[in-house]
Amino acid sequence: MRIRAFHTEGFRIAAIFVAIFALSAAVFTIITLVIVNQEFQDQIVQFANADIASVKDGYRTEGEGEAREVIRQRMAAPGASDFFLLERGTNTKLEGNLAVMAPRTGILTLPYPGNAAGHAILGVGSFVAPDLYVFSGSDLYHARLARRRILRTLAWVFAGALILAVLGGMAVSRGFLRRTDDIVRTCRAIMAGNLASRIPVRGTQDELDRLCETINAMLDRIAALMENLGQITNDIAHDLRTPVTHLRHRLERARSQAATVQDYDQALEAAIAASDDILALFGALLRIAQIEGGARRAAFAPFDLALLLAQLCEVFGPVAEDAGHRLNPAIRGPVSILGDRELLTQMFSNLIENAIIHTPAGTQVLVGLDREGDDAVVTVSDDGPGVPPEEHQKLFQRFYRREASRTRPGYGLGLALVSAIAELHGARVKIHSRAAAGFSIVLRIPLSQS
Amino acid sequence: MKILLIEDDPETAEHVCDALRAQGHEVDESRDGVAGLATARDGHYAALIVDRMLPGLDGLSLVKQLRAEGSQIPVLFLTTMSGIDDRVAGLNGGGDDYLAKPFALVELLARVNAITRRGDARQPVTLRAGDLEMDLIRRAVHRGGKLVELQPQEFKLLEYMLRNEGRVVTRSMLLENVWELHFDPRTNIVETHMSRLRTKMDRGYDTELIHTIRGNGYILRAD
Repeated sequence: MRIRAFHTEGFRIAAIFVAIFALSAAVFTIITLVIVNQEFQDQIVQFANADIASVKDGYRTEGEGEAREVIRQRMAAPGASDFFLLERGTNTKLEGNLAVMAPRTGILTLPYPGNAAGHAILGVGSFVAPDLYVFSGSDLYHARLARRRILRTLAWVFAGALILAVLGGMAVSRGFLRRTDDIVRTCRAIMAGNLASRIPVRGTQDELDRLCETINAMLDRIAALMENLGQITNDIAHDLRTPVTHLRHRLERARSQAATVQDYDQALEAAIAASDDILALFGALLRIAQIEGGARRAAFAPFDLALLLAQLCEVFGPVAEDAGHRLNPAIRGPVSILGDRELLTQMFSNLIENAIIHTPAGTQVLVGLDREGDDAVVTVSDDGPGVPPEEHQKLFQRFYRREASRTRPGYGLGLALVSAIAELHGARVKIHSRAAAGFSIVLRIPLSQS
Repeated sequence: MKILLIEDDPETAEHVCDALRAQGHEVDESRDGVAGLATARDGHYAALIVDRMLPGLDGLSLVKQLRAEGSQIPVLFLTTMSGIDDRVAGLNGGGDDYLAKPFALVELLARVNAITRRGDARQPVTLRAGDLEMDLIRRAVHRGGKLVELQPQEFKLLEYMLRNEGRVVTRSMLLENVWELHFDPRTNIVETHMSRLRTKMDRGYDTELIHTIRGNGYILRAD
């Protein structure tokens, strides 16, 4: 059986750390052993040198007898060097616990008597007099024992750390796995049709949390788009029935009632106009959907909003006048914003046209622009009959038409389009109106967009 | 005029061909992008009408290719896409004008006429039609030697009419080119401004220069 934890990124990282730890521990151990060994040998040599100095001292002051006495004393004393030899020439042992040997001076390593395994003698040889040789040394076995003890201790420590590292790695990767499992499970649930499913976020603000939050935000966006799509499908199904039915009635009536070529001609004209209306409605719906999809942000460019509004006032001024209204600009600029000029033109035209179409003759329409903090504030207001507050939210819905405007041409898509374009620009839209007290729509467009 | 229509939908193609032929144009047809490109290269056409979506090679790539080869032929794009970006992409890609399906035939004919005469794009200082004279430098209009006072919007409208003298211009051509409005307004912007312009420079004179064409168009004619 494959253990999944071994195949995770968390475990791989843990394994790399364990390897680095092991390598550094090994280097540390070797260095320690070398130092300990050196220290032991230095100490042995130091003891031996002290012994030899004492022997020489004794010999110089009181002769050979005293030298032998010094060695005897030292051999009996605890904590001194282990081995001594005082010999004359090369074959006469005077004192000591070593066999005679060929005299060599300096630091020497000698085989242990009887060649015991693991033992060896380190010591110093020197001439007390031209034919009197002295050697003092100790067993290296102690150094070896110490080395072994250190090695064993370090091995235990190392093994412990290794076990902890592996367990830690597994725990970390188990956590990692649990969370990737969450992601996989959520994705499968969504694939299976549970579109509301979201990945649980632990709130630790770590990388995985951020990933999960981003995926959740993406899912929310997709869900919103899907819902929008479903809404549009619904709207189309419901609201296109009416104009298509009208078209059908008109054609039927023509077939049963038209008598002359002119009658037919008229009926055809009307049918063409009706189908144009339906196509225009389709176009408007598609446009709203496209804008709501946010696909237009690529066309953003900086331009002067004051100039655009002034131009629109020039264009719509005479139109308003002909309808018996007055269009008054109150534009303070320049106000440079980043946006889609074409869409904003359509949005403001829509608001101005609303103010002209949905109010009685004699109404004053105001188009205002000002800067407030980091916002460009556009106001389109009129002193017409107004809309009661409970209807304000509905005004932005697709196909919503007020009772009063049912008889006028149109499909109730104007403010839905305004709302979509405003949202694309991060703008907030607010309606201020009461029944019989004028209508005012205020757009706050952020000057700098994130 | 010899026109090449590159359009894969047979019904639209027939519809467009009939209308163009009825106007006395000679029309060749192509049903896919690759063949269309080859035909466009070989024949000497006065204009191309190209659908954006074509089998083989899409319309935009086709026109880009022609432009890359140095062709100056006027191009009108047709499209079913109501996408707002598509118009900009089409014009940037070398198209001279753009028409979204479904369209009225009068619209198509007016636009084909407009793009094919764009050849003499010299920038004149004065535009004239009959006894009407527009000084583009001093931005002044005289008719029969008498100054006609125009608002800026009316001046722009008259300038466009003069530049397209003798050709039918449609409502949407005026909206797009005079006012940069790329949507269908619910108020009668065109009629309002046109009526004001005509009141100032046409009404009361012996001959009227601007005429209304049935089917939503206007023409400025000085005969």
